[in-house]
Amino acid sequence: MTETADKPAAPRRLALATVDLRFTMALAVLFGGVAFTVRDDGIAYMLSLIMVWAIFAIGYDLAFGTAGILSFGHAAYFGLGAYGATWAMLRFGLPFSVGLVVAAAFGGLTGIVVALIGRRVTGLYFSLLTLMLAELVSIVMLTRLRDLSGGVDGIAGIPRPSFMAIDFFANGNFVWIVLGLFVAVILGVAVLRRSPLGQAFQGLRQNPVRLEQLGLNLGRLRLAAMGISGAVSGLSGALLASLMMYASPQLLSWKLSGDVLIMTLLGGSGTLLGPILGVAFFEVLKEVLAAYTDHWYGVLGVIFIVGTIFMPKGLAGVVLRRWRRA
Amino acid sequence: MSTFVIGLSISMLLFLLAAGLTLIFGMLRIINFAHGALYMFGAYLAYQVSASSGSFWLALLVAPLGMALIGALTERWLLRPIYSMPHEFQLLITFGMILVIEEMVHVFWGLNGRNIATPVALAGGVEWLGTTFAKYRLFVIVLGAAMIVLLLLGIERSRLGLIVRACSVNPTMAASLGVKVNTVRTAVFAAGAALAGLAGAVAGPMLPIQLQMGTTIILDCFIVVILGGLGNIRGAVLGALLIGMTRAYGQQWLPEWIDILTYSVLIATLLLRPQGLFSKKERLA
Repeated sequence: MTETADKPAAPRRLALATVDLRFTMALAVLFGGVAFTVRDDGIAYMLSLIMVWAIFAIGYDLAFGTAGILSFGHAAYFGLGAYGATWAMLRFGLPFSVGLVVAAAFGGLTGIVVALIGRRVTGLYFSLLTLMLAELVSIVMLTRLRDLSGGVDGIAGIPRPSFMAIDFFANGNFVWIVLGLFVAVILGVAVLRRSPLGQAFQGLRQNPVRLEQLGLNLGRLRLAAMGISGAVSGLSGALLASLMMYASPQLLSWKLSGDVLIMTLLGGSGTLLGPILGVAFFEVLKEVLAAYTDHWYGVLGVIFIVGTIFMPKGLAGVVLRRWRRA
Repeated sequence: MSTFVIGLSISMLLFLLAAGLTLIFGMLRIINFAHGALYMFGAYLAYQVSASSGSFWLALLVAPLGMALIGALTERWLLRPIYSMPHEFQLLITFGMILVIEEMVHVFWGLNGRNIATPVALAGGVEWLGTTFAKYRLFVIVLGAAMIVLLLLGIERSRLGLIVRACSVNPTMAASLGVKVNTVRTAVFAAGAALAGLAGAVAGPMLPIQLQMGTTIILDCFIVVILGGLGNIRGAVLGALLIGMTRAYGQQWLPEWIDILTYSVLIATLLLRPQGLFSKKERLA
């Protein structure tokens, strides 16, 4: 012990989580700065879109990157969140804030129900179960609950909040609400990860056997992870519906579950920065490629495959590794 | 009675697809998400060949070969580099393949649906006991049955099947006995992809060829494979029969409820017997 103290001080290495949080907050400040200086409706919409999807990806990564649960069914929590808020606001005339709470509750409850149904299966089988349950939700909404979901046409005219005569139907104003929630989710998740519960989630991914030997209830932990992850996803679904002022069963499609998985992995799972970078990269690339070619989805596929092989830790892995020295 | 034949032909199509899926899973422990995309690509390729050459039989040969080539290249250059990484990454590669293949088909053939004309020899129907059966559907049933026998014999009785199973059970031991495990893996992936291509070509005259055809059927195949037990060919036969028949009869009696019912059965299966309805013990390849 004394030997190490005598050695010339090596450059201090910060904990990965600290660097991660600092970078993420810097990114949030950057988003705010851009929204403040560039007062352009299109830019504000784009920023909101990135942040809403980033909230979704961060929520997804709580299950995937933190607790190690590979889910192919997060579209269900996302879409049901969007519908929960829509119903609360349009059918019952509840305010926007309550709509968001309802959305989070819908997403969280669905996540818990899925985890409850799948409490006896793990690994690959659980992943397939999430896919199948999400498909079931999507089919039920499209066929049996056509009145509630609006069928293929969806529901238009989803309101945005009203507060002190500020016109939130202007994207330049709405973006601040999204930014506020974005920062709140980041801080919330950062705190959660450092909490004992968050540590237990990490244990679920790293060594479930040992976790069980330590006396923790794996089933309950997975339930909690799916619930929280679902709630955050539901929240983002409501925000997307409000941003687009439109909700349709497309929000429940399994392609959406795939998209969020791609974004999270491309950015780097298990970090806060990763999902955000992944989303920003995905959305900006989509925007840029769409200007040149109709076939941007294929190009994205190639980038995704190459990224998986050569950059398994994602964009955040590259960034964080370099900047870890303080 | 004609519903029975329709159900049987759907079952056989599902079996061709599920067999490829389950073969790849049994050997490589990878769920090949791109299987539906390969099926769709195979169908378009078959359309192109039969439209240019006028011969459906040539298409039936070219489509599986084309998909086998794509499968082999995928395994060799995309999957092999990442076998050492966590399992999710291999899934992700096949997921990315979906995007690429769908886009390629989109570029070559556009968004319009296509159709393969039923070959002259198989057009029309056969009358038997007062009911008319479409000849093509009977052909699909015979082909499917032949593939079942071929696969079961090939995997369980032949020397080749023995090698494949050995590589799956204990790759290290197989390698030290002189089996080229990597080559076997490539071959199995190619064979699975070829089955998808064959299914695509077979589906051509029966179903509309369109971009979404892969995604619609692949979920059914997942159901078949899960019902039968992942990696179990016999289970795939039974699962395909169950789902194919449910589809055919459900379409007739309760079209609104059929999807919900199948998914409910599946979820119940995953909960009660996650290893599959028809697996006695862990079967391989």
